[in-house]
Amino acid sequence: MGLRDILSGRKKLPGPKDDRLFALTTAAVTLQVELGLTCAGAAAITFKPQSSGEFRSAFDDVDKLLDAVAQQSGSTIDRKSDDYGYDWIVVHDPQLEDLVGTAHTLASELTAQGFGEQLLAAIFKFDGGTNPVYWIYGFKRGSFWPFVPSGKDERDNATELELKAKLEHELPIEPDLTRWLALFDAPL
Amino acid sequence: MLLTSGLLGLLYVVFAIVLFQVLNVGLAPMLVIVIGIALFQFYTSDKLALAAAGAKVVSREDAPQLHDMVERLCGMADLPKPKIAIMNTPVPNAFATGRSPKHAAVCVTTGLWERLEPKEVEGVLAHELSHIANRDVLVMTVASFFAMLAAMLTRFGLYAGMWGGGGRRDNNGPPVWLIIFAVSILVYAISFVLIRTISRYREYAADRGSALITGAPEYLMSALQKISSQMTLIPNRDLRQVEGMNAFFIIPAKVKTFSSELFMDHPPIEKRLAALAEIAREMGRPVA
Repeated sequence: MGLRDILSGRKKLPGPKDDRLFALTTAAVTLQVELGLTCAGAAAITFKPQSSGEFRSAFDDVDKLLDAVAQQSGSTIDRKSDDYGYDWIVVHDPQLEDLVGTAHTLASELTAQGFGEQLLAAIFKFDGGTNPVYWIYGFKRGSFWPFVPSGKDERDNATELELKAKLEHELPIEPDLTRWLALFDAPL
Repeated sequence: MLLTSGLLGLLYVVFAIVLFQVLNVGLAPMLVIVIGIALFQFYTSDKLALAAAGAKVVSREDAPQLHDMVERLCGMADLPKPKIAIMNTPVPNAFATGRSPKHAAVCVTTGLWERLEPKEVEGVLAHELSHIANRDVLVMTVASFFAMLAAMLTRFGLYAGMWGGGGRRDNNGPPVWLIIFAVSILVYAISFVLIRTISRYREYAADRGSALITGAPEYLMSALQKISSQMTLIPNRDLRQVEGMNAFFIIPAKVKTFSSELFMDHPPIEKRLAALAEIAREMGRPVA
């Protein structure tokens, strides 16, 4: 955020940071061995669509590519949109690598088309705890944070902070807790 | 609005002259007072504005949807999550405050939440978050600080010119205090217009920011239209109740319209809609 942004106001949204999605695949071992958390075989990527013709046609290309990637890895892909006007790409695949790969493909293709700033987050589900554990990746931050919903609108902060402490050395975890976006209605 | 802030400014000028002329406060202490006021406003802006509006900070349990909406918009804009407050009035409006994105608060009225569609509320929230991202409290504090400083120095400069220079004082001219008063008011008037010009520019910038964050300027457009048309439909009592918060609101609450654009802190709604339509065309989406 430079002086120019302050003086004239932002002229564009911040784009995605360097892609560090793949860090999750290396951290998966620790998650399993130390915490007993295994990939639940589902992930979702969410972004804010523009309904401009340009965005639509760019996204159609990305969408076709996603289908091709999914066919190769044997994953299934669903498309959803939510009440807040965000679109979701939901991926089902037992392999965490394939889930991360799909998220990466979507992000890098959308960025290549010039719409990287529309990306919000990717969310990966893990089973094994009392509540399902989610790892959320914020594209604009280039970092992960844990999300453990314990009720309709409540999150288990204690477990989340414990996960942060245990994974800090392996995963780029967002240090600023005010950025730990919750995604209660993730269609996973 | 114009009248009240004009009178407030006049009061400030009189206050300064009394401090200076009657109590004989020197230049250095005066500067300390001016800087002190500016710093105080700057550092307490979030709490001060929320308290002045009678707004209540709400937790996620109280307003889960509002929290979800703000969190995601912050994610899109890459901002830390601000405090979220609700002001209990049927007048649909919203404002943001705070000296930096880390010490920010955004407030919506219950009227806004009830009368607007969720996507329109989102457009309004994105506008307020853009004020935070653009650091408008900082910009406006600095701008008003310089205005205060200019007024102050003018008075001291004049004073020094009048009383300095030994016995060359002209006894036939108008009284010194009158000249000081006149020049002070002139400086104040100029800074008043300048600050409002900056403020209007910041509104356009925040409208553009909202269009970028939501990707859908048309919802902000319909929200602005709804807010401004409902403003005039609602009885005056409510409007006067919230009038003091005008500079912060997305659309100023107005009892009467009588000031020209030069003196307004918000651009006229027609111009804002035209600017948003231009942004929408740039984004390549159809506009009705």
